[in-house]
Amino acid sequence: MTDPTNTSAIRAEGLAKTFHDPQRGVVEAVKGVDLDCRKGEIFGLLGPNGAGKTTTLRMLSTILAPTAGRALIDGVDVAEDPLEVRRRLGFLSGSTGLYPRLTGRETLRYFGRLHGLEGERLEAAIARAFDAFDLHAFGDGRCEALSTGQKQRVSIARAVLHDPPVLILDEPTTGLDIMASSDMIQFIESRREAGTCVLFSTHILSEAERLCDRIGIVYDGRMLAAGSLDELRAMTGKEWLEEIFRELVQRADAGEGAA
Amino acid sequence: MSSPPRDAPGAGVLRAAFAVARKELGESFRDRQTLLYTFVLPLCMYPAMFWIMVQGVLVVQGQKQARDVTVGVVATAETAEAARGQLALDEEGRGRIEVVALDPETPRDADAIAELIEGEEADALLFLPDGRSEDDPAALFFDSTSSQSETARGRVVSALEGWTEELRAEAAEARELDPEVLEPILIQTRKINPSKDDGALVLSLLLPILLVVMCVLGAFFPAVDLTAGEKERQTAETTLLLPIPRLGLHLGKIFAVCATSMIAATLNLLALGLSAGHLLGQLAGLGDGAPKVELPLGALISIAPLAALFAFFVSAVLTGVASLAASFKEGQALLGPVQMLFMLPAMATNLPGMELTATTAWIPVVNVSLAFRGLLVGSASAGPLLLCAFSLTVAALFAIWFSVRLLSSEEVSLSSETISMTRILRILRPR
Repeated sequence: MTDPTNTSAIRAEGLAKTFHDPQRGVVEAVKGVDLDCRKGEIFGLLGPNGAGKTTTLRMLSTILAPTAGRALIDGVDVAEDPLEVRRRLGFLSGSTGLYPRLTGRETLRYFGRLHGLEGERLEAAIARAFDAFDLHAFGDGRCEALSTGQKQRVSIARAVLHDPPVLILDEPTTGLDIMASSDMIQFIESRREAGTCVLFSTHILSEAERLCDRIGIVYDGRMLAAGSLDELRAMTGKEWLEEIFRELVQRADAGEGAA
Repeated sequence: MSSPPRDAPGAGVLRAAFAVARKELGESFRDRQTLLYTFVLPLCMYPAMFWIMVQGVLVVQGQKQARDVTVGVVATAETAEAARGQLALDEEGRGRIEVVALDPETPRDADAIAELIEGEEADALLFLPDGRSEDDPAALFFDSTSSQSETARGRVVSALEGWTEELRAEAAEARELDPEVLEPILIQTRKINPSKDDGALVLSLLLPILLVVMCVLGAFFPAVDLTAGEKERQTAETTLLLPIPRLGLHLGKIFAVCATSMIAATLNLLALGLSAGHLLGQLAGLGDGAPKVELPLGALISIAPLAALFAFFVSAVLTGVASLAASFKEGQALLGPVQMLFMLPAMATNLPGMELTATTAWIPVVNVSLAFRGLLVGSASAGPLLLCAFSLTVAALFAIWFSVRLLSSEEVSLSSETISMTRILRILRPR
């Protein structure tokens, strides 16, 4: 059940994930991550490749089941009611994940219908998405024929068509050119204004510095620290995000990492 | 911020499954390979292929009939001359039999005769002693591996029948006997079944195999495309995020594969059934008494429920197995042997003595093939058919469980590697 007094849009406690890898045996990809993202907040998960960012986001979006811990999206437990969680979030990754043989309009119609939009409401939502993301020139062409930037715009429209209170973006600017990347950053900023909670992962420091209200530093499956840039500066005594990141990683490697 | 409606249509598993199936079917029919195997092959290529094959056979048969053959006759000069008169009769549309008189002392030795045939001195050798002899009977030697020699044998046997009849009549007359005395039993063989039953028999050898083969081929590409193909296209994550129950999602994929399989099988059966009458009639070179090959609509309608169950079984198995692959290419490689596991039992049902019984009704593939054949020739009875329906339902449900279990596994749905047998067993292990 949703608690109306709770301002947390995303909350995770001790979230962990263990895989059985044929080559490496048992792999602890995420080792007890705590996370609290508020409504209308942009929260960045910053970390190197293999740190556990994507696995964390996949658990929060119900793609993977956590091995341990608990996570709530808009007050709904991901393990207890994953279907309701999926209704309340929009998810986007750098690979766009569009069905290549569907057109942009068909993609939006398919997702809209499954999100409970029908008839005029559905068509109105699609028309708004076409206007908002300027899909008119290519939205009726098959996705396989679109450029990367065009695919990304259709993909964003798909993720927010049902106006979700929570957006989870997995390295959304990876592989995008300068213009498409800039469009994505503008889109993320616009969601803050709309009151949506945006959780996104990145390893691009400048992106995190510019966009995030708060930043979580993830390393080796652990959340080393989380807070606003000023809070992280105070925590480490360093000025720049790159220095902060290095300091936290060195502490973790030396066994002093604190979550 | 408004929340999405709680009564979203994801609530019902079946409703979700149909929504997914509709979308997957639409996408599949935009895939060239699926289109080729589902529509183009049955509607164009198979009738064309069969037509070319039948025309080829007719040409070869015509050439064979018109071919001249040489028969070496080993006999006294007088008998050899008589044989020439009897064998060398001209028949319209048939090649000539050229009779060559050979040395009467030619030995009846297979190796020596083989040399004569290989040396093209004769296509067959006929040993004709004077009069009837128990020790030294008339004999015809030929090489069954040579088409020319085989043709010569057929032509000589046919010509000798008439000559024998003539000699018998002459002998009876010389003894002032009625020739019928020498043939005390006159046998007439008469077919009691209508000609269309002969056609049904011909179709019963073809259509059941085609049903199985086309169900498998129709499911093959969609099964790979909706599982391994989805991983390759990096859309698996998007699909897993759909606001519908996972069971509905996986069932939707199986439904889509099954629908393609059934469409492919139906179109193929109709295309072959419609063209078979004309083509098989031509092949048999038959006139008024020819077997009538008609589209067996009654049998096709009767087999439909069993075929649907079988299509579910095939689709679920292929979808489950294809989900273990990480790419389209690997999916095709994995399904190759599985495809053969379906096709070989179907072909085995054409072995003599195979019928739908209380035992064979329990064997998947074999049961549906035999049931279809039984319905085509009208020999199927209700008991084994019901048993067959029950066993196919059990097999389809088990296959759906197997497939959904695999598709529900995180290892399977998101893995970038082909899943090993050990991991499969771990996934399928009771929880």
